[in-house]
Amino acid sequence: MKHVVTNFLKATAITSILATGAVAQETPKMGGTLVTVMGSTPRVLNPAVQSGIVTGLVGAQLFAAPLRYDEGWNPQPYLAKSWEVSDDGLKVTLHLQENATFHDGEPIKSSDVAFSVKIIQEFHPFKSMFSPVTSVDTPDEHTAVLNLAHPHPALMLAMSGQLMSIIPEHIYGDGQDPKNHPRNNENVVGSGPFKLVEFVPGEHVIMERYDGFWEQGLPYLDKIVARIIPDSAARAIALENGEIHLSTFENQPTIVNRMSAAKGMNVSNDGYGGIGPIDWLAMNVTRGPLQDVRVRQAIAYAIDKNFILKAVMRGTAKDALTGVHPDSPLYNGDVNAYALDVDKANALLDEAGYGMNGGKRFDITLELVPFPGYKPQTEYIKQALSKVGINVTINATPDFPSWAKKMGTMDFDMSLDSVYNWGDPVIGVNRTYMSSNIAKGVWSNTQGYSNARVDELLAQAAEENDQAKRKALYAEFQQIVNEEVPIYYLNAVPMHTFYSDKIGNPPITGIWSTSSPMDRVWLKD
Amino acid sequence: MSTDPNQTTVRARSPLAEAWGMFLQNYTAVAALFVLVIIILGAIFGPYLYPTDPFEMVWSPFSPPGVDGFILGTDYLGRDLFAQIVHGARVTLVIGLSAAVVTVLIGVTVGALAGFYRGLVEEILMRITEFFQVLPTLLFSMVIVALFGASLPMITLAIGMVSWTAVARITRTEFLRIRELEYVMASKASGTSNTKLMFHVILPNALPPIIVQSALMVGSAILFEAGLSFLGLTDPNVISWGQIIGSNRQYILESSFTVTIPGLAIFLSVLVISLVGDGLNDALNPKLRQR
Repeated sequence: MKHVVTNFLKATAITSILATGAVAQETPKMGGTLVTVMGSTPRVLNPAVQSGIVTGLVGAQLFAAPLRYDEGWNPQPYLAKSWEVSDDGLKVTLHLQENATFHDGEPIKSSDVAFSVKIIQEFHPFKSMFSPVTSVDTPDEHTAVLNLAHPHPALMLAMSGQLMSIIPEHIYGDGQDPKNHPRNNENVVGSGPFKLVEFVPGEHVIMERYDGFWEQGLPYLDKIVARIIPDSAARAIALENGEIHLSTFENQPTIVNRMSAAKGMNVSNDGYGGIGPIDWLAMNVTRGPLQDVRVRQAIAYAIDKNFILKAVMRGTAKDALTGVHPDSPLYNGDVNAYALDVDKANALLDEAGYGMNGGKRFDITLELVPFPGYKPQTEYIKQALSKVGINVTINATPDFPSWAKKMGTMDFDMSLDSVYNWGDPVIGVNRTYMSSNIAKGVWSNTQGYSNARVDELLAQAAEENDQAKRKALYAEFQQIVNEEVPIYYLNAVPMHTFYSDKIGNPPITGIWSTSSPMDRVWLKD
Repeated sequence: MSTDPNQTTVRARSPLAEAWGMFLQNYTAVAALFVLVIIILGAIFGPYLYPTDPFEMVWSPFSPPGVDGFILGTDYLGRDLFAQIVHGARVTLVIGLSAAVVTVLIGVTVGALAGFYRGLVEEILMRITEFFQVLPTLLFSMVIVALFGASLPMITLAIGMVSWTAVARITRTEFLRIRELEYVMASKASGTSNTKLMFHVILPNALPPIIVQSALMVGSAILFEAGLSFLGLTDPNVISWGQIIGSNRQYILESSFTVTIPGLAIFLSVLVISLVGDGLNDALNPKLRQR
């Protein structure tokens, strides 16, 4: 089975390489309407005040960020045609495209960049992205200088994808609350390659080519229709019927395997490195037996990772051993993999003082996270832990808000969770380990984990501009966290892109999937 | 003092025996009862005869029925589907029965009070009944389970809460009819207390349609539980037929047997319960006895 899967994956990899090669020789064609799909309705279309991949899909078309990233994690010019970082790392200068305009024809100026940074600092949920930015200087209309309190290497990634959307000051600077601004969903004036035609919540978002886009000849597409279909099986049927050309962020293993077999459909798991989603088992280290590191290690040894990867994820997911996504250049895979070892788990539990008493050591609860598709893993973990005498009761939570409240207030023992890296560790990783971020709502340090060395490493790495030194700091961090197991990492979420043969330049190159502009996507005849 | 040979002694048969006789003449109902008894016996003794843990991963996932010694195959985690059906029967039937009991308790109380006292009491109770009748039942039970947690007692209670109205209406109608009958008048005139009149004089005579209704209730409660489980509103620590369907449904296209087998089990149980209920109806309803 394993060989079949690996061979299959290799085969797809090779095909996609060949396909990319073929695409490179084909001349992109102008025109056409691309139909894509989203799993839910975005709350707003303005990514400066809202995170999430559905806001990102539309937002990254409507708004432009200064930079974009290639698949090798190298920054590329986008709205900023060039940029410099000063030697001390305290000044980042952006040189904007000179002929760039908003969708109402107003030029995009450096003051808009300053305004956007201010809005994002204040209203975007990811505070760590721009918190070191003290001010933005605008020496001329096309130059913006971000002044930093300390070196901030995460800034480069934070200036790409959907994270730093440049919004027009003359629209959003009217004193209304930017988070609930009426122009977030209607008559949106953006800076990106596509402009908004229509947004019908629960139905679709329609965007069309912005003819005044600064780069001549781009975008290729005339129109993008993003339909909203919450059910993954319904999306699969629409793809098979050819009603939809492209679907991203698909992570149901059965659907992935079904699409791999579908005619005229391509499947790829490339392009999600920046999103960096990881599934894990969160453990509340502040109560009960889980306070003991040996108990947590025993749990890690008692769970058979291979079973999860093969039987539950059906070979669609990559292994993840640390809190950094395996596609990230900062990933350190040289850590304890906690290969299944029931004897060792039993020994650790005995050592921790939880002796076997009538086939049972202690009771513990496991929350059933209310995302689709997380029940099999949860049931498996319950069963695997019963083998070492840990009696798990699964708590079903009916909806996301009640689960999020339980997590955010640390009112749980264990739960599966799915957390995104969002490019740089400073943005998406630190939040779940820093002792200063304990119990600050869902996707904070809900484990109650506190380690002075980890805090120190993360603080140092956040300000280290030397990539090699930074990598070493994160490597040590990953080592410690892997050893102390406040979180047991299951796998990288098997995010996949399904795209029809008709699509040229599918959004699988890069690190942000469809949270990046689709200006170079085109449709074949 | 010789006995007239032409005169046959008419021995009064007890109503129960008479009803049983009627029931036995209904072959469909008898066959259904036979199957139902097998299902109940299976639910009680099955887990001892087939002790495989239904939560244990015993084989590769989705191995089809009959392969490698697994009669009904395995589910998405490689758990024995036959073991799940056998062990799930108990929970499914218990929920069906106890939800029916809850239904009858609430329904009979409300219906009896309304039918006996009439007037303002009836007005109030019947308006309350109507209120529950117009609520979308599945939605209302989902709300209850979502609010108070998906434990078995709560699911049972939720099903009972949304389905007692039919019983209440039937009970009230019967009470309205019977309370005007002469023997009730007679007991009333001889000073029998209201409680005694309600529960000792009227209720026993109103029972037949209530029994039929509650038998049917068991079937619909099982379907209800399956519906809730299908939507994921279930206790993940126990196994029921509905839950097997609910957790396997996303694999329906590749391994449909994981859904159809528990589906057939529910179908069969609900069918035989309905047929038995129908047989009871024929046997207990005096108007139909003349057929």
